[in-house]
Amino acid sequence: MQESALLHFTAHRLQEISLVFMAVVYSIRLYWLFRFKAGGDRQPRTGRLTTSPIKGAIYSLGNIAMPWAMESTRTNIFFWAQFVIFHLGVTAAITLSFVIPYAPGILENPVIVWLFQIFIGAAFLVGCYRMIRRIAVPVMRAISTPDDYFSLGLLTVWFFFAGLAAPNDVSRGEGLLITFFILTAFFLVYVPFSKISHYLYYPFMRYYLGRSLGYRGVYPIQRSATPENG
Amino acid sequence: MQVTERSHKAQKVIDRLQKKLNRQMVLSLAGCVHCGMCTDSCHYVLANPDDPTYAPAYKADQIRKLFKRHVDWTGRVFPWWVKAKSVYSDEDLEELKDIVFGKCTNCRRCTLNCPMGVDFATANRMARGLLVSVGVMPEGVAVVSKDQWEIGNQMGVLKEEYLETLEWMDDELQDELGVRHSLIPVDKKGAEIMYTINPREIKYDPRTIADAAKVFTLAGVDWTMPSEGWDMTNFGLFSGDDDLGGTVAKRVYEKAAELGVKRVVISECGHGYRSTRCEGPNWGGVNIGFEMESAVITMLRYIKEGKIKVDRDRNSVPVTFHDSCNNARSCGLYEEPRELIHLVCTDFREMYPNRAENYCCTGGGGAMSMSEYTPRRLKSARIKADQLRATGAKIVITSCHNCVDGLSDLIKHYNLDMEVTQLVNLVANAVVIPEKIEVMEKPAAVVHTLKGFRILVIDDEPETRTYLSTVLEDNAADTIQATDGLEGIEIARKEQPDLITLDISMPQMDGGEVFARLREDPATRGIPVCIVTGKPELRKLIYDKPYRPPEGYLDKPVEEETLVRNMRKILELASGASKEAAETL
Repeated sequence: MQESALLHFTAHRLQEISLVFMAVVYSIRLYWLFRFKAGGDRQPRTGRLTTSPIKGAIYSLGNIAMPWAMESTRTNIFFWAQFVIFHLGVTAAITLSFVIPYAPGILENPVIVWLFQIFIGAAFLVGCYRMIRRIAVPVMRAISTPDDYFSLGLLTVWFFFAGLAAPNDVSRGEGLLITFFILTAFFLVYVPFSKISHYLYYPFMRYYLGRSLGYRGVYPIQRSATPENG
Repeated sequence: MQVTERSHKAQKVIDRLQKKLNRQMVLSLAGCVHCGMCTDSCHYVLANPDDPTYAPAYKADQIRKLFKRHVDWTGRVFPWWVKAKSVYSDEDLEELKDIVFGKCTNCRRCTLNCPMGVDFATANRMARGLLVSVGVMPEGVAVVSKDQWEIGNQMGVLKEEYLETLEWMDDELQDELGVRHSLIPVDKKGAEIMYTINPREIKYDPRTIADAAKVFTLAGVDWTMPSEGWDMTNFGLFSGDDDLGGTVAKRVYEKAAELGVKRVVISECGHGYRSTRCEGPNWGGVNIGFEMESAVITMLRYIKEGKIKVDRDRNSVPVTFHDSCNNARSCGLYEEPRELIHLVCTDFREMYPNRAENYCCTGGGGAMSMSEYTPRRLKSARIKADQLRATGAKIVITSCHNCVDGLSDLIKHYNLDMEVTQLVNLVANAVVIPEKIEVMEKPAAVVHTLKGFRILVIDDEPETRTYLSTVLEDNAADTIQATDGLEGIEIARKEQPDLITLDISMPQMDGGEVFARLREDPATRGIPVCIVTGKPELRKLIYDKPYRPPEGYLDKPVEEETLVRNMRKILELASGASKEAAETL
């Protein structure tokens, strides 16, 4: 069945405009960030000689994939698992936004559609849970801004429509697909101004912290494996 | 009603925010996703689970809101959307003070537990620095900072008190080792090691100095303690004042360079080690030409190299080890203390969590000097108390003086059956004293009177000049008077006095400029200078200058006894010329 002009526009031109916009804004953002001078360590190295700035940086960047590395994730595996599911869902939904307009043939395989729906559906559930947590837990409420609620809400709704749009079946109506692509476009435009842009900062933050803590012999973290007493 | 008028102090804070930002700081302020993962890493939160204002992310947001309002994008256009907010009144600054000084010890535990890598402790230190720059800080912070700026150490220890304590410990050590030689050399040029300490050791714990001296003596190393630049602590780390941090660190570095030592050994102090060894070169913008290390590493090396022998059976009481935040989380010093403990103690019990994951002693970040927050501190100390209790140890060892005080306080508060000690005490207790001890005699000069010394008095007030000159002459000194700075410089060049007393506030050329010219001129550079001023707020004119700091500092009005005592000590510690003069007495 032939797609309408509106669907074609939202799936192609609107996405392209949004992507270009996001890339431009991100570039400006990076330029702004790099105008600030980076601090360095002038002193000689400290700590174990078996580590180094490079090792520290690599450890730091890989930290999030090592739930045992930080106490906050080690003692809260459930939260870490949510993080993984949520971000896999984001990856799947973004991938879907490219697959539908540019490689729709892939979605003719029902297994692939199911996989998309499983990942995105799980992320949707995590999004709902996270929204409840953000509203119900006093500490989360105290630290949350309108942007935090809106960004999480936006992603969760986006997951919902992405999951429904995954079959790419226009015969059941174009509404779901058009909504998904409009939400995607809005997401791309909104991201640079919201907390969602954290992934732009993430590599730099982890790199600088890891480099410094590697230089100082702190990273990779050393700890006793098992309590001998107490 | 929205307040739009901004107080002078609030405006200054906003103006200075931009200058404090570097790339890492911007990332930490822009990159928080409010995931809440840092919450349970903070001992304040664990002790106050129902109060969300202790959460690291919440505390960071109180700083972050300023950044968002004035630097970041979205917050400048839609402040309410990201909770960006400025400060307008002095009350706003007081609220911020309560958070950055009273609800955080800058222990950095949350930093290591943040999935994004937000360095909240560093942001908190920056906020402290902004507040301190406009005079908003707990009184204790102001007092300690003032002492470190003006007197040269954070506990206001006078030079005479310092030297007398060294002499006292020297006598004690001589008695213990049964020798009749001086064992604590001062200002020995060309020594291999310069040992720097925490002024707390002079005030409350001088035994640690004697213990360190015992180790150095028995190891047969060529070491010295400096008469100036001996305080390796640095309140700049706690107050966020990088100027103070750099100035204090440079005092140590300059003294080490002057004495020509190969290595500066830093006594057991977490923030002192971090400040002197790690942060000082960055704050001061200097590169260091000698080695610096913790006394823990030094003692460990002496045992490994066989320079000292130890008998670990002498320390058989169950011990545990508390990692100082600054040592473990910011400098990677956590394996060496354990290695040393295993060599000098028989019953070591690990504490959990430990190393970089250890909980703060609750006395860090300058908390021990902020008495207004003591109830909060002790409440949050419950976490540490539980940790200590679980080890079953009778002694908790720590390589940090702040931790000694913080732990002692909480042990008393929570009725724990424990004592706190440092590794140097345990090493000194375990060290085996050989039958024959070889020591180097101290080339010291003792000045008993001021006879034979010429002192130049530079002061624009005739009454002060007359008073100082009369007191000095009554104590057998020869004096020369100068009525202003230019005349003083001229006389100093021509007459080459043994010492100069210098006023700061003078017309035409202030004392700061005079001091700079005296230090720049090769003909007068070596002459000791004692600042005598009634305006301590002008101290920056002296201490901000990139020269060796003055040999003495006295506040007006100065008592006769204080003046003479200080003059004697300065002359005693001055170069060989004064020594020769002293020997003629």
